[in-house]
Amino acid sequence: MSPLQASRLLLRKDVAELERLAGWIEGFTRQGASPDVSFAVQLCLEEAVANIIMYGGAKDDPIEIAVELERNGTTLVARIEDNGRQFDPTHAPPPAPAASLAEAKVGDLGIHLMRSFASGMDYERRDGLNRLTFRFVEPPEQLP
Amino acid sequence: MDMSVDDLAGGITRVALRGRFDTTGAVVVELPFNKLVTEKRKIIVDLSAVNFLASYGIRVLLVGAKIVNGKGGSLVILCPDNNVAKVLKTAGMDALIPIHQTEATAMAALAS
Repeated sequence: MSPLQASRLLLRKDVAELERLAGWIEGFTRQGASPDVSFAVQLCLEEAVANIIMYGGAKDDPIEIAVELERNGTTLVARIEDNGRQFDPTHAPPPAPAASLAEAKVGDLGIHLMRSFASGMDYERRDGLNRLTFRFVEPPEQLP
Repeated sequence: MDMSVDDLAGGITRVALRGRFDTTGAVVVELPFNKLVTEKRKIIVDLSAVNFLASYGIRVLLVGAKIVNGKGGSLVILCPDNNVAKVLKTAGMDALIPIHQTEATAMAALAS
């Protein structure tokens, strides 16, 4: 079992920060996560952080976002804390399937993607912060 | 991310996207992509060189397919079976936009 590794990144409420987030995740997952888990971490964190940046507060609200990645053996845990408006994505309803292209609604897919690509997802509101935790478990056959 | 456009036989246009189709990438290609889908009627969106797809990218594809479909044309996606295809399927796009794994089947679908 590999030893515990952890890293932390602070982000501002600015869409340009998503590029920095992606590079940081790549640097962390390069050291030992499988391509599928790396992809899932990238996807879940991109969706969650983009939601906070775009909908977490009014234009000039001083929103701060802290992202932590921690690996312990075959499990990777990603945690996002922000001081934006209270929002629990684990309780958002799943999107309704569209009957046709013309009727398909644009948007509302991010939370569904997070749920599908993470092995687990938990939310708590504590001390005025949203705290969203994802778990990603390496499938046994894909260990690097 | 970047976008290149080729005219193929039979009035088919191939739009090849390359790179990360995330929020950052989608913002870059959204305007040129929207312009193209308003001008063309038979479009293959080639995602073979796209190594990442997030919901903003799906939004661009869905809006494009709606525009082309709305004027009687058709848009198909060319995407090998990988994590990008898994995102498309998880988002339910495979029920709305035809997804092909080879250029030959994508072209055949648009030839009719």
